[in-house]
Amino acid sequence: MSEEVETPVEETNEECNNGKQSKEKTVSYPLKVIYCPECSLPLEFCEFMPETVQVKCREWRENNLDILEQEGLEISSLTLDEPSGDKKRQKRGGRGNLKAKQKKEPEVIKIAKIPRGKRKFMTRVQGLATFDVNMKKASKLFAQKFSCGSTVSAPDEILIQGDVTDDLIDIILETWNEIDENHIQDLGEVKR
Amino acid sequence: MFRKFDENENVSSTNQIKSSVQRQIRATILQQMPKIEPYLQDIWPKKESARVMKCHEHIEILTVGEECLFFKQRDSPWYPTLKLLHKYPFILPKQKVDRGAIKFVLSGANIMCPGLTSPGADLNMDTIDDSAVAVHAEGKVNALAIGHMKMSPQKISEVNKGIGIDTVHYLNDGLWHLKIVK
Repeated sequence: MSEEVETPVEETNEECNNGKQSKEKTVSYPLKVIYCPECSLPLEFCEFMPETVQVKCREWRENNLDILEQEGLEISSLTLDEPSGDKKRQKRGGRGNLKAKQKKEPEVIKIAKIPRGKRKFMTRVQGLATFDVNMKKASKLFAQKFSCGSTVSAPDEILIQGDVTDDLIDIILETWNEIDENHIQDLGEVKR
Repeated sequence: MFRKFDENENVSSTNQIKSSVQRQIRATILQQMPKIEPYLQDIWPKKESARVMKCHEHIEILTVGEECLFFKQRDSPWYPTLKLLHKYPFILPKQKVDRGAIKFVLSGANIMCPGLTSPGADLNMDTIDDSAVAVHAEGKVNALAIGHMKMSPQKISEVNKGIGIDTVHYLNDGLWHLKIVK
């Protein structure tokens, strides 16, 4: 059974108003599937997320209509609001209900100076992971910038050898745009 | 399989694989999914060295560059990950479940026979018992799970009870969220 024949038939059946799109899609592989940045699923599956997440998905769609249009997607075919479906949805717990993911901790980056002996220090950074920063890469970056040792010592903690607090704040702000000065908290000298 | 899966807890080691082993894996993948052949070069370039993540419960995940591509458990065939399947949807035979089943599949349930035989669903008679399939859903374009046939399609329509397809990997599970750090 040849695949070129099979796919377009199925896709056009499934969504008539997206006919053009699916024909273009079948021409070149890999296909580009757009994932919702809020729930990470393909856009058509947002509707199966728990209510709390769906609110965010909906919000993102409203704010990013232009992007969706650029990709040639018709938002109308991916609506979230379904009056009839809502009634059927199980409201109380049960197996079919997905749970919302746990909320992230408050997003504060804590920088502390830890003494080692009398005049040497380590710098400890906590909270970078709440910003979805790749810890290993961040640690590597710090080690390179400060030419010193740096390690991921706990799931959300980086230890840097030497007192680099001031430079560190600059570098964090520079490399990750989503991090603001207000997010960073300098704890000063802390006993370990 | 990946219902509870966490990179820090379940991955025990990541190793680069020898080129001879790579060749073997390539051959088995081609044998299991012949339709992938023209594209395997793009998915997994020959020069790119692959890594295998060994995880608990004898799960092995094959990664190339920063992407997870295939995985397997013990002696199972290699399954593609959903991200890969979305890009190349033709590599696995399809099964379609009805709309009511979607939410259960998304929370990791196995696929029961009635979900495959009801009017909204589409039971693909060409699939073979004990092989990998892509699970699609009524009204949706993209696959929502990857499964392993537990019964032959004939038996599914005949018995119409119990588990028809074992869900191996589904949207929003641990493997879906797995990120690779080099």
